Amino acid sequence: MTNGAREMIRADDLVKRYGRNDVLRGVSLEVERGQVKVIVGPSGSGKSTLLRCLALLEPIESGHILLDGEQVAGTGTTLRDRQLAPYRSQVCMVFQHFNLFPHMTALENVMVGPVNVRGVSKAHARAEAMDLLTRVRLADKAHRYPSELSGGQQQRVAIARALAVRPKVMLFDEPTSALDPELVREVVDVMEELAADGMTMIVVSHEMRFANEAADSIVMMDDGRVIEEAPPDRFFKNPAHERTRQFLQMVER
Amino acid sequence: MAFDWDIFWGALTSQAFVQGALLTIALAAVSQAAAIVLGLGVALLRRSGAAPLRGAAATYVWLFRAIPTLLQLLFVWNALPQLVPSLRDPWFTPFMAAFLALAINESAYMAEIIRSGLGAVDRGQVLAGKTLGLRDTQIFRLIVLPQMIRVIIPPTGNEFITLLKLTSLASVISLRELLTVTSQTVAVNFRFAELYSAATVWYLVIVSIFMVLQVQLERRFHWTSEGRHEPMQTGVPAAAGALNR
Repeated sequence: MTNGAREMIRADDLVKRYGRNDVLRGVSLEVERGQVKVIVGPSGSGKSTLLRCLALLEPIESGHILLDGEQVAGTGTTLRDRQLAPYRSQVCMVFQHFNLFPHMTALENVMVGPVNVRGVSKAHARAEAMDLLTRVRLADKAHRYPSELSGGQQQRVAIARALAVRPKVMLFDEPTSALDPELVREVVDVMEELAADGMTMIVVSHEMRFANEAADSIVMMDDGRVIEEAPPDRFFKNPAHERTRQFLQMVER
Repeated sequence: MAFDWDIFWGALTSQAFVQGALLTIALAAVSQAAAIVLGLGVALLRRSGAAPLRGAAATYVWLFRAIPTLLQLLFVWNALPQLVPSLRDPWFTPFMAAFLALAINESAYMAEIIRSGLGAVDRGQVLAGKTLGLRDTQIFRLIVLPQMIRVIIPPTGNEFITLLKLTSLASVISLRELLTVTSQTVAVNFRFAELYSAATVWYLVIVSIFMVLQVQLERRFHWTSEGRHEPMQTGVPAAAGALNR
């Protein structure tokens, strides 16, 4: 390890193909413990694919993924898909469409990870889940089913569900883009609190306010590559790349 | 010849009719249960990554849907014992033969219903299970299965009612189910109207009971908190069974 202790997740030269379509053409990314990185870029630039690869939900063609100093995917790893399950909970993902389990109440959604992955007793898991639901301000909805919750509430349950498996890194894939505008704020608030509490986060989002207020750095992707990375003030005020300038104009309009 | 209500009532409540009806229910129930298990296996094979397994499963469905149920029944009862000597033993009763034939026949239909049920579960559900660190078997049991069951209840109810009536085919292999009993009694007293009516009433009663059971079952898979007080207290509904390790 070159810079061991602080680095939480690192991707080296990731290549991902779907058939003949090169989705990631050599992406490298490094996130330190407690850092928040926001990834932006036009549709089809590979942001979501990158996140899925980092979440160990998609195999990569070449490159490496290191999680807390341990190589978990890529060239030279011997880990098989079945052996990845324990690592996946360390890089837990929050999805654009929430993907809550519709047959479980909010509380059960949050309990399912601790009980079945961490082997925690149900009573303990229930108490923990209530704490997490309180943290996302949904304690009063604990016994509601997903179909009875608004989009913003569902996404906050999804965040609590991810927190319950105690991930080292949380990945957010456009967490607010399926929400009605008036519901975006409540989700972004929770994410900002997580960031302030020191959670390591990688967020694909065009929520520029979150990027500006919570991100340590912003990564611009285009055509399967990272073309620019900078802290928010520099990224917004003085982007190095022409493509970034064009993109920011489109988004901010 | 006027409709004789005494004969009708006598037949309806006779021990032979009651036993015939119970045999019908038992045959349909065990055949359906076996068909669901077999069908699940075939459906999973049809979604497998290995082409030969997919092919074998598709062939199974094709074969047992194509052959008439009555022919399958006759084949199992008459032809199989000629080919397999151990089937000539006393344990191979008409009930066993009917069970085997109906279960296999029905499993081909169930395989297709379950396949569509599995296809109806959103791919994002599996991803969400994976990202939490659940193993594939846990994802299937805790997440995919309950959602699949909800989808397949109505078509499976249809299948079960069809199967209840298909058990009457077993009269050709002398199984004393409801229709066999009716025919045998008719052969004695020629009271067609009374006895067929009695049989009809029994089929109506049986189907009605199962329709009520189906409504109950569907309610358990209706995932809202309305009218469900027990999960409010315990936090874990029985229907989801989600947290049972």
